[in-house]
Amino acid sequence: MLRIAGGRVYDPANGIDGVVQDLCIDGGRVVGDVQGGRAIDASGMVIFPGGVDIHTHVAGAALNFARGLTPENYRKAVPFLHGPERRAGLGGITPTTFATGYLYAAMGWTTVNEAAVPILSARHTHEELRDTPVVDKASLVLMANNEIVLDLLEADELEQAREVVAWLIWAAKCYGVKAVNPGGVAAWKWGKNASNLHEPIEGYSRVTPAKIIAGLAQIVDDLRLPHPLHIHCNNLGIPGNISTTLETMRVLDGHRAHLAHLQFHAYGGDGWGTMRSEASTLADYFNAHTSFSCDAGAILFGDAMTITADGPWQHLLHQLTGRKWGNVDVENETGCGIVPYVYKGHNLVNAVQWAAGLELLLLIKDPWRIFLTTDHPNGAGFWRYPELIRLLMDVEHRRDCLKKLPKRALRRTVLADLDRKYTLSDIAVVTSAGPARALGLTAKGHLGVGADADLAIYAQGPDGISFGRPRYVIKEGQVVVEDGEVRPASEGREFLVRPSYDEKIEEYLRPLFQKVYTMSFDNYPVEMERLTRPDVRACE
Amino acid sequence: MGGKVTCTLGEVKNRADLIIYWGGNPAECHPRHFTKYTLMPKGKFVPEGRKGRTMVLVDIRETPSAKAADIFLQIRPGKDFEVLTILRALVKSRPIDETAVAETGLSLETLKDLAARMKRARFGVLFFGMGLSMTRGKHMNSAAVLTLAAELNAYTKFVCMPMRGHGNVTGSDMVLRWTTGFPFGTNLSRGYPRFNPGEFSTVDLIVRGDNDAALILGADPGATMPQPGIDHLGRIPTIVLDPKVTHTSRLSRVHITTAATGISAPGTAYRMDEIPLPLRPALKSPYPTDEEIIKRIRAAVAAKPAWTPAAIPARATA
Amino acid sequence: MLTLTLKEQPSVPLEAEALSPDLTAGLPPEAVRALPVHLGKRQLRVADFFEVDGAPGDELVIRGAADKVKWIGRGMTRGRISIQGNAGMHLGAYMKGGSIEVSGSVSDWLGAEMSGGSIRVRGNAGGQVGAAYRGSLSGMKDGTILIDGTAGLEVGMRMRRGLIAVGGSVRDFAGLEMKGGTIVLRGGAELRTGAWMSRGTIVSVPQIPLLPTFTYTSTYNPTFLRLWGRYLSTHGFVLPYEEREGAYRRYLGDSSVPGKGEIFVFQPHAS
Repeated sequence: MLRIAGGRVYDPANGIDGVVQDLCIDGGRVVGDVQGGRAIDASGMVIFPGGVDIHTHVAGAALNFARGLTPENYRKAVPFLHGPERRAGLGGITPTTFATGYLYAAMGWTTVNEAAVPILSARHTHEELRDTPVVDKASLVLMANNEIVLDLLEADELEQAREVVAWLIWAAKCYGVKAVNPGGVAAWKWGKNASNLHEPIEGYSRVTPAKIIAGLAQIVDDLRLPHPLHIHCNNLGIPGNISTTLETMRVLDGHRAHLAHLQFHAYGGDGWGTMRSEASTLADYFNAHTSFSCDAGAILFGDAMTITADGPWQHLLHQLTGRKWGNVDVENETGCGIVPYVYKGHNLVNAVQWAAGLELLLLIKDPWRIFLTTDHPNGAGFWRYPELIRLLMDVEHRRDCLKKLPKRALRRTVLADLDRKYTLSDIAVVTSAGPARALGLTAKGHLGVGADADLAIYAQGPDGISFGRPRYVIKEGQVVVEDGEVRPASEGREFLVRPSYDEKIEEYLRPLFQKVYTMSFDNYPVEMERLTRPDVRACE
Repeated sequence: MGGKVTCTLGEVKNRADLIIYWGGNPAECHPRHFTKYTLMPKGKFVPEGRKGRTMVLVDIRETPSAKAADIFLQIRPGKDFEVLTILRALVKSRPIDETAVAETGLSLETLKDLAARMKRARFGVLFFGMGLSMTRGKHMNSAAVLTLAAELNAYTKFVCMPMRGHGNVTGSDMVLRWTTGFPFGTNLSRGYPRFNPGEFSTVDLIVRGDNDAALILGADPGATMPQPGIDHLGRIPTIVLDPKVTHTSRLSRVHITTAATGISAPGTAYRMDEIPLPLRPALKSPYPTDEEIIKRIRAAVAAKPAWTPAAIPARATA
Repeated sequence: MLTLTLKEQPSVPLEAEALSPDLTAGLPPEAVRALPVHLGKRQLRVADFFEVDGAPGDELVIRGAADKVKWIGRGMTRGRISIQGNAGMHLGAYMKGGSIEVSGSVSDWLGAEMSGGSIRVRGNAGGQVGAAYRGSLSGMKDGTILIDGTAGLEVGMRMRRGLIAVGGSVRDFAGLEMKGGTIVLRGGAELRTGAWMSRGTIVSVPQIPLLPTFTYTSTYNPTFLRLWGRYLSTHGFVLPYEEREGAYRRYLGDSSVPGKGEIFVFQPHAS
């Protein structure tokens, strides 16, 4: 039992905007009242619901590949010493699993959504998530380049495709569906890409990226998954890709969808020399079409690691930068590409990217529809979210940073004209309440009675709130961070869904699987025992 | 430093039309490789099976694997690095000193043909074995394969893959990477992971006598290490966990017989393409599993006075 | 000047990055005795292994067979370390200034990723002299390393600038993936010198085997060798550079990268 007394609470989901009130916790949940137990004096402090990272890459084959590719990054990373109840680890741009959990917890984030899981290595993802302490987890299974599904779409067998997708989600033990560069990753298996939404992809005559997008969005809605189709649009990072993004949104019209790391998809121009931000155009369309949510995918200057399932983009980045390149094509399903990268303030393209992320956060009017992310580790390390918070709340600071950009960059963005300032309530929405709602995690992102007791308590000093260094972090009612020290806590949960499907689909899948895969069909689905504290959520 | 371009084995089965084995003898060391993944199966995009594929074997001598090869290239021992470097240049149409090619055991024409085949392939794959990674050049031989495969992607689809050894070495690589950041040779003595092959890698460390105790699980260094290393293991307290009494057991202080993982103990193995497979034990064993023993050792160590590493000073070693 | 005399051989390698003028300058012997060193997983004190005498200053003298003492001089920016005996791995790694002199031999990673200062080893060195640690984009960025004896594998791997000169022979991969700087091989090398170099200069006095991706361009007496030769002779390294002694065959490579590195191999005049 825990009483947090006298703090200023920000709980936008319940309309509480900086009200000084006690919070009572019992049995891991927020309750109306407690008698006895521990009391934390939070007077002068500010209380936020625990952060929810809706799009991050922290566990699984792609991340592990990146770790092995870059031992040099670990030499300058923050070391985590082992202790009686603390595991050793290393931070840096691709933290080891234990360090990942400690880093998120230490900054007040309590739920993370691993954004890209190949079914074939889902078992691996779950093993890493199990070794990621403190935080609750969800994960999204990659589907937009799954050749069994694409073959069904080619034959216009949408019903059968839906059954297969449902079966695959449950086989992977994941929470939702992720689409990355639809059709492009399948084309990459032959060294090609899919840049035109309405052109058939390599090896198909009817399947276009648009068909995949529309098909999957329909399937996700039919299966009533708590989180909509989560999509990384075609042509990520390419100048002029604004047209692809807008067209994708048109194709999705009528369906819910979550657009991932939207900053990387907001570019105008027709080449690296003319590349500019089209965040205003994108924000206008987005504001007018309310079935979409998105996350910012903002970049910050400094080290990054580009890790995506977008094989062709990663190869291009390798050719442009000469940095080392990792690539894995996963049979019948997807792939991943990795290139270490550094964003530099004096680089014109990087400066436009930096501005575009902030423009989206400022021009998209409804904070319930855009969430604070850096597509970790693609845009910046997740522990740098507080830097973004400052840029959103402090206009002078934002202007100071703008002044340091190359002059030519300023002509390619409207950021200098934007004087919107995020309030604390806005921050609570974009870091917690909004992503929780978009994920359909109804007990997260708020502090009403019955909510999971996940919260961060920040001191308030003369310079404002010390985001990034909460005084206390509470997870499921346990104090997991106190004065900078991460404490042992029970393991976080893993959220997953069991969409309904007819078991007969296995008769279709089994022989097909044995033909095109290289393992026994019985070894494909992840065993439930692999998940720590699995929490199966309803599809309704 | 070009990186690593690879795929899962099903991609090879479904697409590869050029398969190169370098420094390995799959017929004897990976006996199901040809039949399950690379030569015999009908692939989704190679429906004609074997007929749609060309297999090139590069080795210093003709092994049983050569019978399955369309092209066998007998390279002189220790010349792999030279040949791979020449191939990198030929692929990019860069000049080489033609008089220096003969010492590799292969002719310039042969190498030009090989480079052309690689560029012309629809989907090429190069599997490399310990015959490459353990001969003179060591990790640079592996780096040469990785770099060549990455560079070939400017022309066509090309991947490479190491032919990993037995004992779930890939699994230990994976777990070490996600928990410590490094695939092997991880030193935790300062309380956090540090990596430096040659300094902390097993054989080097033991041969120099840099450790004063050893716990050996699922390996038999007493059979294969250089003699100074074997002598050192015999002098220090050495503990062996193994289903069998091994060479290393005979020089250890303590040998604990454990159940064989995969046969009588469950777990997960990671295939050479890093795909996890569940191990379903078929038999029961009277012996405890490795996991049980390690947990009991840990509990006994935890009962001793606590040791916590010193806080990191401002400028720690890496 | 402080003198540290090894009195106890460490049973396992001793990590002693505290033994650097930046950390010991101005400290009296008692304070230096209390500095931390790491023996495997245990933190001990300098005094557990060294007698410490002398007066505060920025010069350190270390005496003894310190073959198992690692990281001496790590990151130093000033002062002088004089080792009368041997030293272990990572001597002078990340060094930025000052000087290190060793009367005996050293182990691997001498001067790794250094960016200034000078190191002189009278005996032999191990591998990875002035090299990049695994995965780093560059090795030494500047500074001078002189080794009278032999050295091991990957001397100057990925170095960007600076000078390494070795009197005895070196093993495979000298100048591997070199990006700049100069390596002088007074005693020649084994295989694969200059492998995958993109820029930089390697000079060998004896004949050395070269990769097929190096092409002969010309034979002459380059001016820079005269300058290097004069500089090195003041340190006891003799490089033939006079026309009457012979000329240098220049090779360009490594074409597999493609690189514009140079390897000069001395060709004495037929007498």
